[in-house]
Amino acid sequence: MAEEALFYKTALPPHIHSADSLARRYWGQLIALAPLFVAACFAGHAEVLRVLSICLVSAIAFEWLAAKLFRKKESLQNGETVLAAALFSLLMPSGCPSEIVILGIFTAVFVAKELFGGTGSYLLHPLLLARVFLQLCFPKVMSEPMLLAGSGSVWTLAGVGLGGIILLKQKQGYWETAPLFMSVCLVCEALSGGREMPYAFFSGILLTSFFLLADPVTMPLTRKGTVLFVLGAALLSFQLGGEGFSIYSASCAILSMNLLTPWLDVWLKPVPYKTKYRFKATYPA
Amino acid sequence: MILINKNQRVIMTAQVAINKKKKRLGRKAVGIRLERKKDASLLNWNLKRPHLPEKIHISIPAFARPCIQIGEMVQTGQKIAEPQRPEGVSVHAGMPGTIEKITVFSNAAGAETRVIEICRYEEPKPLSFPETRKEWEQIPAEELLRIFQHSGLVTTDPFMEPVHARLGRHAGARTVIINACEPEPYITCEQVLTTSHPVEILKGAELLKKAMSAERILFAFEDCNLEMIELIKSKIYFLKWEHAEVRTVPALYPQGLESTLLQAWFEGEEEKAVVFPASTAFAVYEAVAQQKPFYERVVTVGGECVVEPRSLWLPVGISFHDAIHACKGVMREPRKILMGGPMAGTAQTTTEVSVTAGTNAILALPKEVVKEEAVSIPINRSVAEIGTAQTAILEKKQKVWAEEPCIRCNLCVDHCPVSLSPVMITLAAERKEFSAAEEWGVTNCIECGSCAYVCPSKRPMLKLIRLARVSSKPVVARG
Repeated sequence: MAEEALFYKTALPPHIHSADSLARRYWGQLIALAPLFVAACFAGHAEVLRVLSICLVSAIAFEWLAAKLFRKKESLQNGETVLAAALFSLLMPSGCPSEIVILGIFTAVFVAKELFGGTGSYLLHPLLLARVFLQLCFPKVMSEPMLLAGSGSVWTLAGVGLGGIILLKQKQGYWETAPLFMSVCLVCEALSGGREMPYAFFSGILLTSFFLLADPVTMPLTRKGTVLFVLGAALLSFQLGGEGFSIYSASCAILSMNLLTPWLDVWLKPVPYKTKYRFKATYPA
Repeated sequence: MILINKNQRVIMTAQVAINKKKKRLGRKAVGIRLERKKDASLLNWNLKRPHLPEKIHISIPAFARPCIQIGEMVQTGQKIAEPQRPEGVSVHAGMPGTIEKITVFSNAAGAETRVIEICRYEEPKPLSFPETRKEWEQIPAEELLRIFQHSGLVTTDPFMEPVHARLGRHAGARTVIINACEPEPYITCEQVLTTSHPVEILKGAELLKKAMSAERILFAFEDCNLEMIELIKSKIYFLKWEHAEVRTVPALYPQGLESTLLQAWFEGEEEKAVVFPASTAFAVYEAVAQQKPFYERVVTVGGECVVEPRSLWLPVGISFHDAIHACKGVMREPRKILMGGPMAGTAQTTTEVSVTAGTNAILALPKEVVKEEAVSIPINRSVAEIGTAQTAILEKKQKVWAEEPCIRCNLCVDHCPVSLSPVMITLAAERKEFSAAEEWGVTNCIECGSCAYVCPSKRPMLKLIRLARVSSKPVVARG
């Protein structure tokens, strides 16, 4: 055994790790998005599948291109690109031309994400930045997402709600994020007099609170900071919208709060427990 | 209606009491609920002593000098090194044998130390201890400190600090904390020892209290060890001690470590308390009452690869190979051999390293548990070459391991027991901005490894934190 013993592996502690991984997170979010696509088909928006296929192909192509250009490993296997494509397709309006979809994906994947350093390095939410960019460039084409078109439907609401429950069950972020955003939005809506499209309105709020606020990269690093971020995003969604809540106003609000994230990180940085003594849990090396 | 039996009701009542106490303590405990994996080693409750090995390597600590000659025969417990300075401590032989040589040997922490090699010269005989010391309870504090020093008593935690030196360093502390918490998986040595010898540990704690003229004793347990809590409470009640109290911490890692105990109970006033492991209290009792020097300790030999995982008495200096052999060996090839637990323990490249006073566990873990790429070290290399190979492996590991970028998921921040922001510290360390890492409090890190455990990107958090700590400014260990 003595000779065999010399083959044991050495490494720094800890020697065990949690089962959590980026792939698990991204594929988990994709599973949560599945009910939304089913609901869109039931609600008569099967076109979303066409947009989804365009998004998938173009996102994978731009990711591969960025990997080749910047000489790094592409993040196709962990599902990040697929998730971005799926979520972006849900933000596209009905009857959106393919060129605009491809331009949006290029802006999101290549410009907003890869040019800013790739996974974990960007400051602004890439998908929302691309959505706002398209809205500013093509205001006539870029109406509300097809899921929220018209007055919405009960299928859409059920699909988004089910997706949100799946996401909550996965415990990927703070549980209070979505309820806080929803409650602030509802209070603001009630104060502004309400509206006549309850399905579309509620679906939009649910979609924003569960899926657009699920990207941790652009959010603060503390629980308190996240609460402030969500509060600010909810209030700005109404202030920037003019006519109340919309996906465009929510996107602008989240992007505005993204700019405040570094400041929130420093302002609300955790206060360490200071002690006169230096302890270590690990064995002296 | 749900029917519950009497035992369940008793457990529920105890749990309610613990929850009330937690609320009274105020601060919310932060930690990870790890899979405990202690059942396998708890199946064998009796603390046996294995057959003595062919040879043992006993480390000579700082400020001690060998007092034996090469070829000299020694008996179990005989002094083989003497303290040279007041903070030094004597060393005692763990088995009868011949002093083979005094050499340099790589210890389990990876450093090279001077060791005394003792080879067994005859079949072992039953241990014979001196008689119980007369009127040991009346010994004055100064005399106790002298006994501690000349019995070779060191703390049975990773620091292996001489007990009298720790008492001297904490002079003026009013509370002695006896820590029986084992937050790491697999490790059960303190639990088995405390359950087997509760009165001895209480008496040892009383001696420590007397030696430092403290006022009270706190016994720290994890809240899931209800049997142990009740056992110690009943003994305290039996002894009619007003100055002793049992307190609990949540069964979360790293709650129960020395630093977290002091933070939870003496935040900002750490100098008012001193922490000793329960096994140190037991060793103190044996040294004072039984006149038995410190040369053996209870160690958990466990992990999925060990045939018969258990806690047992092992002489200081026995090799990991012999310790695992005492538990009937391994049933399959382990991927990692650890000294200590899987969260904070040190991985070994060989099983020829020796058990020290700070070794609480020897774990043989399979590849399913450690889940890392296999990297081999060439055999028949010198200690220095192995050290170089370790560095090469660490560098290679960074390339082999599927490390991904940080996505700022906040898990490391939420799980940090000292309320740091490991993500900012490690990002600063990656960019070599060590002053920024210092501003984010890297010097307060206790290196518990919680951040690295929870990280979904599997980033080498602890390596980066150590790099930032070393590069920012020299740190004076433990005050």
